[in-house]
Amino acid sequence: MDFLNPAFWTFVAVTAGIYAIMALGLYVQFSLAGLPNFGHVAFMAVGAYTMAILVVRYHVPLPLAALAAIAAAIAAGLLLAGPALRLRADYLAIATVAGGEIVRYLAMNLPELTGGPIGSMALAGQGNIAMYNQDFMALLNRLTAASSESAGISVSRDFVLALLVWLLAGVLIIVFWRLERSPWGRVLKAIREDEVAAAAVGKNVLMFKLQALVFGAALGAISGMLLAWQIGIFSPDDFQPTLTFYAYLILILGGLNRIWAIPVGAVLFSVLFSGTRLLNFYPLSLIDSGNRAFLRLFLVGFLLVLFMALRPQGILGNRKELLLEK
Amino acid sequence: MLLEVRDLDKSFGGVAAVAGASFGVAEGSITALIGPNGAGKTTVFNLVSGFIRPDRGTVRFAGRDIAGARGDAVARAGLVRAFQAPRVLTRMSVLDNMMLGAKDQPGERLGMSWIAPRRVARREREIHARALEMLELIRLSKLAGDYAGTLSGGQRKLLELGRALMSQPRMILLDEPMAGIAPVLGEQLLQHIQDLRARQMTVCVIEHDMDVVMSIADRVIVMDEGRVIAEGTPDEVQRDERVIEAYLGRLGAGDAASASSVAP
Repeated sequence: MDFLNPAFWTFVAVTAGIYAIMALGLYVQFSLAGLPNFGHVAFMAVGAYTMAILVVRYHVPLPLAALAAIAAAIAAGLLLAGPALRLRADYLAIATVAGGEIVRYLAMNLPELTGGPIGSMALAGQGNIAMYNQDFMALLNRLTAASSESAGISVSRDFVLALLVWLLAGVLIIVFWRLERSPWGRVLKAIREDEVAAAAVGKNVLMFKLQALVFGAALGAISGMLLAWQIGIFSPDDFQPTLTFYAYLILILGGLNRIWAIPVGAVLFSVLFSGTRLLNFYPLSLIDSGNRAFLRLFLVGFLLVLFMALRPQGILGNRKELLLEK
Repeated sequence: MLLEVRDLDKSFGGVAAVAGASFGVAEGSITALIGPNGAGKTTVFNLVSGFIRPDRGTVRFAGRDIAGARGDAVARAGLVRAFQAPRVLTRMSVLDNMMLGAKDQPGERLGMSWIAPRRVARREREIHARALEMLELIRLSKLAGDYAGTLSGGQRKLLELGRALMSQPRMILLDEPMAGIAPVLGEQLLQHIQDLRARQMTVCVIEHDMDVVMSIADRVIVMDEGRVIAEGTPDEVQRDERVIEAYLGRLGAGDAASASSVAP
């Protein structure tokens, strides 16, 4: 593949947009309400699986299935509320890692419901290859045709998908940016800083945390579904805990507690992570591709460490704020 | 009585921190809660303000039973507290800390900023103006835009007091406001507390500095071993034998012997 291949970079752009929505969900829980959710990926999995199962098994129209998927993730969020509102931050982090893994292992070990380790392909039973994203692709094709016509040049389907994903990410970020700046956001940030102090001035901490959990779950479900539609087929392995850590990386790279850091961090992370796939030019091409794959992961890690050493506050963060004790 | 506490009990794993404490705080007074270390003063504050649930007993505030109510509900009822170690929101601005303290901001309900933007904006302007006024009063105006985490310990205590006052409570509980604070700021804080009384606010304060207690308190409640052992004006309490005993210990035969052996 060519380093300047636009198709590849379009793919990276779609991924970055999906990651931005994923990170926004985590932002609402972690940066606004101070809930260190390390199982965010579970909401994505619940969203993707609910959508796929409803479409394949019950032939539910896609928009309805998408809404049901969001509802299912919210239900999962409320389930998480049980421990989340009782445990202290560090214990909550541990519990949520476990929660995320429970969801993945359930998906792996309930083949009748989820297709098991084979994943979404096996949803229609043996011998049938299940597809859940025909409607989405049809929509995308229509949009592509329409935009090619209006723009006068042929645009790729992925390009339209990238536009769509980033449009959605942009709208969602603006919505939550407004919410963050409202008195509602002020209370959430106060809870992040010190929930006892927030309660001492009469704020119903439980209620606010619950709202943050619900929003985070819904955003997680949206990003999970987008990921499923982008890749076409998914399995439990697509919802590894690393995905949650990518979301944290995006928040940290962009600048902690800065909502506009999310798109910046998402792009930076995706370029670092996916862009390094194309290190196939001389002299790196002297190394065979298997070793280059390892070299690439090493490089990603090295660049992340270097970045954090040189700019711990992230791109948009404030170093002074970072140094303040909670 | 604005606040009435009856037979309050709380034990932690068999240790009775508060054992049948009863007292009242009159509206518009400055009431000091004193007693030796471990007497249960801070636990009483935590029980009254809803941050710990009592095992037994009643707490009536302005005629309502608030025993066992959650902290935020107690605060909304008009009884707010400040902590011994001030709790400021370090990574928020001093101004935002103050504005958080206000009540009746409809915008704190989700989506109200969209449903009733004007009402939210109007209330926000009022809160903003009041926060600036209050910052002026506690002389932190110059630091309004700074992170609260950059303030000194004394400034944090002032900020916490200011934040608590933003909700215009009927009563405020102050846990050792003068501890660990520079003398100049201490003077200022004392003045504020006295100003509160002039504005008909009720203050209940835990304080160790007897000079402070004697100079500002209208009434003094003395606790020892989880009970209220004396209650009265500062003069009465100062002469009360049980109080002297609680602070200095009973001079029994053994104590007298050891006391004389220590004495030069």
